[in-house]
Amino acid sequence: MKPGSIIPSSASSLTSLTVTMTVMSYLACLAIGALILVDRAVASWTSGLAREMTVQLRVVRDIDIETQLGKAQAILSGFPGILQAEILDQGESIRLLEPWLGTRSLEGLPVPRLIRVITDTANPPDVAALETALSAVKGARLDTHRKWEAELTRMARALTVLSYSILMLISASAIAIVIFATRAVLQANRHIVDLLHLIGARDRYIARQIDGRFLRTGMLSGFMGVGMGLLTFLLLGLFGGGSESGVAAASRSLLFSAPEIALWSYGVLLTVPIAATLICLVTARVTLMRRLGVVT
Amino acid sequence: MLRLENVGLRYGDGPEILRDVSFAVHAGDFYFLTGPSGAGKSSLLKLLFLALRPTRGSLHIFGENVGTLSHSKLPPIRHRIGVVFQEFRLLDHLSTYDNVALPLRIAGKSESSYRRDVLDLLDWVGLSHKASSLPPVLSGGEKQRAAIARAVIAKPQLLLADEPTGNVDPVLAKRLLHLFLELNRLGTTMLIATHDKGLIRQAERPVLHLEEGVLTLQ
Repeated sequence: MKPGSIIPSSASSLTSLTVTMTVMSYLACLAIGALILVDRAVASWTSGLAREMTVQLRVVRDIDIETQLGKAQAILSGFPGILQAEILDQGESIRLLEPWLGTRSLEGLPVPRLIRVITDTANPPDVAALETALSAVKGARLDTHRKWEAELTRMARALTVLSYSILMLISASAIAIVIFATRAVLQANRHIVDLLHLIGARDRYIARQIDGRFLRTGMLSGFMGVGMGLLTFLLLGLFGGGSESGVAAASRSLLFSAPEIALWSYGVLLTVPIAATLICLVTARVTLMRRLGVVT
Repeated sequence: MLRLENVGLRYGDGPEILRDVSFAVHAGDFYFLTGPSGAGKSSLLKLLFLALRPTRGSLHIFGENVGTLSHSKLPPIRHRIGVVFQEFRLLDHLSTYDNVALPLRIAGKSESSYRRDVLDLLDWVGLSHKASSLPPVLSGGEKQRAAIARAVIAKPQLLLADEPTGNVDPVLAKRLLHLFLELNRLGTTMLIATHDKGLIRQAERPVLHLEEGVLTLQ
């Protein structure tokens, strides 16, 4: 004869808690997904920027710019840590200005010329020495993209802080909700708890009769939330726009990148059900022990 | 076993329900507790089964001053006390069998270790055919018997009963009295609150009379 459950599950349904915790887990999953994507995008952008530099040559009166370009290219090509120095022709330089100046003819204007420099990331060039070397070329200026890299890093840091703040708010809300749910369960079963106390049950024993259900609720809602989150990333990846769409590409990269990266993403997302389970179990246990301790 | 010295009890800011109650119960004693309705019998029993604490005076149970004992120290004392509540307090979602077995389950015993004892006791109180019934389908007398069975199943050292024969017929009341006397003979100390003068006469045991919050030995 299997003994019946001392606290009846029908007397205090945790359906509302399951729904709320599922939504919380889903939001946490989205926040973590955003965190992973920002981290990955910044790594990709900064590595691209670190690989490339640009030398800009202003037009200087009475100086032949083509000669200066050749001189700069010669300096760059022989400089340690530089793999390639490619002069962009005037047409390409003008095309780069089109977003700001439109498509009208700029043939008569003194448009600066550019040299795209590919560096060896394993053995980067000495920037200060390179700037000194290039000072021999009239109108030359080295752009290492450091300013853009700093901007990106700042933005990424802000997004990361934002994502962590959202995760903390979600966790705090989840804890508050579990506290209310635990109190509701205790209140609904007050007559049983009182009887158990009077016939000698310890607080720990009574808490064990209740917190197992919170553990199951946390686990279930955590997995449902992550499932919904993965489904969202999948749908965004499939229907979030063409290959040019940033959101779609990011979602696809989260789910279908190289196996080790995808596995890492899934591993990080798996912390959501673990955290949901722990929040439910620990919060319920602490609340129960505190509340039971003040009952006679 | 039980010692009360000048115990007073009041609910909130209300009048004192119990005033300067002093008495001692020794191991193996059997007392009845009588008095008119509203005299404070149930309040006194609530003090003794540790549902309330005295507002003044001292209450010692098994040598411990329970008035000042911390909440965590109460369960071992409660384990040694069996209580028959006036309103039965059976759990409606558990079978009669599970209700009776509850104190053993709480004590951490396995179902296989107590099954025989519980079924024997249910048989003895005439509820073996109701073992799997839920309390809402039991009659008042059956609930009473189930509550008594739950109170004695763990062989408590002290049994406190609030009107344990209030809902049973005279034949069963006599049978239950024999159960209490037998338990007392085996060493269980008894304190039974009752209005049943016939029961008191049959048992021929000392009576504590409570009236207007004051306790006297008759």
